[in-house]
Amino acid sequence: MSIYLFQVASQKSEWLSARQTAVASNVANVNTPGYRALDVQPFSAVLNTSPLAMASTNIGHLTPAISPLDSLRTIEADPSEETLSGNSVNLEQQMINLGDTSRDFSMTSNIRRAFHQLILSSLK
Amino acid sequence: MLDPLQTSLRIAASGLQAQSTRLRVVSENIANAQSTGPSAGADPFARKTVSFESEVDRASGANLVEVRAIGVDESPFRLERDVGNPAADADGMVKMPNVDVLVELADMREANRSYEANLQVAKQSADMLSQTIALMKDA
Repeated sequence: MSIYLFQVASQKSEWLSARQTAVASNVANVNTPGYRALDVQPFSAVLNTSPLAMASTNIGHLTPAISPLDSLRTIEADPSEETLSGNSVNLEQQMINLGDTSRDFSMTSNIRRAFHQLILSSLK
Repeated sequence: MLDPLQTSLRIAASGLQAQSTRLRVVSENIANAQSTGPSAGADPFARKTVSFESEVDRASGANLVEVRAIGVDESPFRLERDVGNPAADADGMVKMPNVDVLVELADMREANRSYEANLQVAKQSADMLSQTIALMKDA
């Protein structure tokens, strides 16, 4: 059970890092003409897709590195406004996303730390 | 594939660089708002413009930003009557730069705002990285 929690926590941190990258490119391109704002697909979509790994029955088989987050791809964010130059980044919205990401990341890492200490104290 | 957090630091750095180039051009324009031509009737300083473009980083697939070109504003120069000016032509008219300080100040504020936003992203990414490192400290 706790192993599963660590896996979910790890997926969540990976998802949050990917979201941070999307926010970073939106903020960097806030004045780029024609740039469309990006976002990652919601975390529930990542959790629900369990990737199927190919079974390697022979030593010569290649094992493609399937990360559980291969389904983590960027999507175009819903444009709430668009400037005359065709840029759909809303800086305020990006700052809100940035705060959300940071807070969720702290929460995930604190939960992970708490469970780690729980396991350690059962060992002692 | 690079770590997404380090990638976001790189993206924020490209944004910081682009915006500071923009600030540099704005300050050139403001500094030369009164720079007339060197000789009688010569063209004065022409306002410079900056344009950005999104560039996909091959290593990480991230959308960096870079300055595409520093161009020259083609709008006509202001004509002012100033007979004593060394740059005045035979009729006493001096060509003044096509710089509108108000426009430049607005541009400066926008560049400043975007710079701060990029700085915020960089700070947060670094913060998230150190949180991950801190997980190992009390293990």
